[in-house]
Amino acid sequence: MTDLLIEPFRLPYMQRALLEVLLLGVLAGAVGVFVVLRRLAFVSDALTHTVFPGVVIAHLLDRSLLLGALAFGVLTAVLLTAIGANRRVGADATLAILLTSFFSLGVVLVSRTSTYTADLTVFLFGRVLAVDRADLLQTLALAAVVLGTLWALRKELVLRAFDPDGAAAMGYRTALLDLVLNLLIALVVVAAVKAVGTVLVVALIVVPAAAARLVADRVATTTVLSCLLGALGGWVGLAVSYVVSVDHGVRLAAGATIVVVLVVLFALAAAAAPVRRRLTARAAPR
Amino acid sequence: MAAEPAAQAAAPVLELRHVAVAYDRVPAVEDVDGVVTAGQSVALIGPNGAGKSTLIRAVLGLVPVVRGSVTVLGRPPAAARRQVAYVPQADTLDAEFPVSALQAVLMGRYPRVGFVRRPGAADRQAAEEALAAVGLVERASARFGTLSGGQRQRVLLARAIAQEPRLLLLDEPFTGVDALSQELLLAALRRLRSAGAAVVMATHDLGLAHLACDEVCLLNRHQIGFGPIGTTLTPERLRATYGNQALELRGDAVIVARP
Amino acid sequence: MSELLGTFSDGFARRALLEAVMVGGLCGVIGVHVLLRRLPFFTMALGHATFPGVVLAALLGVNLFLGATLFGAIVVLVVALLGARERVDETSAIGVTLSGAFALGVLLLSAQDGFSRDLAAYLVGSIVTVQRGDLLTTAVAGTAVLTVLALLHKELVFGAFDRAGLAALGYPVLALDVALLLLVEVTLVTSIPAVGTILAVALIVAPAAAARLWTERLGATMALAAALGAASGVAGLAISQHWRVAAGATIVLVAAGLFAVSLVAAPRHGLLARLRTRRHRGTAAPRPTDRAAATPATR
Repeated sequence: MTDLLIEPFRLPYMQRALLEVLLLGVLAGAVGVFVVLRRLAFVSDALTHTVFPGVVIAHLLDRSLLLGALAFGVLTAVLLTAIGANRRVGADATLAILLTSFFSLGVVLVSRTSTYTADLTVFLFGRVLAVDRADLLQTLALAAVVLGTLWALRKELVLRAFDPDGAAAMGYRTALLDLVLNLLIALVVVAAVKAVGTVLVVALIVVPAAAARLVADRVATTTVLSCLLGALGGWVGLAVSYVVSVDHGVRLAAGATIVVVLVVLFALAAAAAPVRRRLTARAAPR
Repeated sequence: MAAEPAAQAAAPVLELRHVAVAYDRVPAVEDVDGVVTAGQSVALIGPNGAGKSTLIRAVLGLVPVVRGSVTVLGRPPAAARRQVAYVPQADTLDAEFPVSALQAVLMGRYPRVGFVRRPGAADRQAAEEALAAVGLVERASARFGTLSGGQRQRVLLARAIAQEPRLLLLDEPFTGVDALSQELLLAALRRLRSAGAAVVMATHDLGLAHLACDEVCLLNRHQIGFGPIGTTLTPERLRATYGNQALELRGDAVIVARP
Repeated sequence: MSELLGTFSDGFARRALLEAVMVGGLCGVIGVHVLLRRLPFFTMALGHATFPGVVLAALLGVNLFLGATLFGAIVVLVVALLGARERVDETSAIGVTLSGAFALGVLLLSAQDGFSRDLAAYLVGSIVTVQRGDLLTTAVAGTAVLTVLALLHKELVFGAFDRAGLAALGYPVLALDVALLLLVEVTLVTSIPAVGTILAVALIVAPAAAARLWTERLGATMALAAALGAASGVAGLAISQHWRVAAGATIVLVAAGLFAVSLVAAPRHGLLARLRTRRHRGTAAPRPTDRAAATPATR
């Protein structure tokens, strides 16, 4: 077991990759709790489509990928809050068209380059093994901002998720809270672009949180568990993809392996949930 | 109407003057006119779609008033929110949400606590006292969803109590609630009223309206009557309110089919 | 215009053109049903789910349609079962299942060599490499889908508006629902060479959404949607040839553009039209005068 989980990380580039996925696991896990409680998986998916052209444009202009992704992420967060999270009938079609248009824009721009398909793959699925110190610092900074904001607004975000009418009645501006959360999700997508790409980041956000929700009874424990699962998935996924690729000659994309590990963890939580429920029901006073 | 001299002297908690409320261009409810003073309790009665919930939202300042005025404690609704508490129907909330009963009640203290800071000892005490007032202190650490429908409704009332409001707005608080919870809800409401809070509740249940309220406001997209329950709740006004959902019995009694 | 058409002088370009027209037309027609049943988001999810199925089928040498459809069906089943559990809401169920399915597809592809090229083709299409065999497949699949749609037209439309009513009349509503989903899946797979799995939803939804803004009659909507779909295909292809950019993505951008134009310009439902009527309308609607039973407020 140690062979699997420790050995691969003797190399510096693997250490950086590990640090990156651990950070991302915690970051995405924390935000993911609110995404799952508010049923916003759709928003996260939307962001992955719209951040993509931002990343491409930044790359073509030789600017920081972060800036490009950020600009489009913020734009999307604002747009989505405006169109509303209720997903009325007409809004669904408009949203689907909007998302794929943004995505197509990104594809068109990438296709102008000679390294079209390679670049496309990197943007969509990341290249965690190419993460450098600058990327790590960037992720750290983003994590500080996102986790800090979540901590400061945790009461209000939970109230808004639990009882939107009650929150509005108490005087909270729910639209503003929604915008803040959408922006935080956008920042997580931006942070994850280099490592796992825009397509797979949804998994990082949704899967650990969905798994934690199945077995935790408080927001606090759900969040801690979600962060742990996210980090664990990153670590094991990275290790497995390295070992299989190097020792067995089958190239397994690192980002995709991480996601598969997370889904397995989810399946385990799903299997454990009814057992746990029966145990706690017997213990609780009636 | 034989009003208490003391109540007449007190400034009104809620004043509705020829109010029309609209989401778009067409008013959802109009011609609402009445005053609620401290310690009074008004039942909003009418069929589905009559505008009861809309009126409540207007008093909370969440829906625009297109004619007339709504005044809460002498101020516009948005300015008076700290003194107003809202109790929604418990079954509109996600039963699987990971909060305990006490945490749900504590949420009522959040506006006082403000951003970033966490609730203090005084807040926890207020929350525990509120839970005691609805008879749920021993379930304080139970997950909200493990409670029965009636218990959940009591928790939401406790949340409102923890806000120490002067005006309490309830939307169908007795729907689907067991008899014991009903008793405890009524008792808690009585205690709030004697402490000086005014209560406005939307309800279908005419029987409970008699038990819980001394005034009634009949609505069916416009106001049909507003006054003491004894004199305002007449068969002919009920017929006007419920249209052909009301069934007359020997010309004297009126039965209203459950809408 | 003649310069644009001139780009279609090569054999491969002519094949691509034929493919674009057929796929665009097919997507337009089925798109109307997708809108009627409020399935845009689901179709998007299905497109993502189809990806690993296609990859698997290609790797195993199995017929692409069968492989993709089977996998798509499995994904739909998993989502339905997962979403029915406590504490797992529908959107999270879709999120988890899709992530897993997608990652699986990427893993399978990466395990092979030639990772990037095939990946791009499956995701965003590669219409310029369309062969005669692909054209034949598209023609056959398209005809099959359109035929079934025509045969079941009344029932599908009825079911979209009033599922309970249709069931009450004795029709097998679940079978009809599944049949439509299968038709959408076949359309998705047919669209892969043209626009890939990720972008296919746009070609399905946008022309139909645009057509809905111009006409209320269902038959006319379908015809217009097919026309707009085909037009998007042709125009998109021509523009992409001229500017040397990805064809599939350009086709989607044209379709989206047509939708945007319709959103603004369509009579009665478009933005401009609604602004005009609002200016003509007076203030609040007149109050109802029949209040015989009402008594003045007492205090």
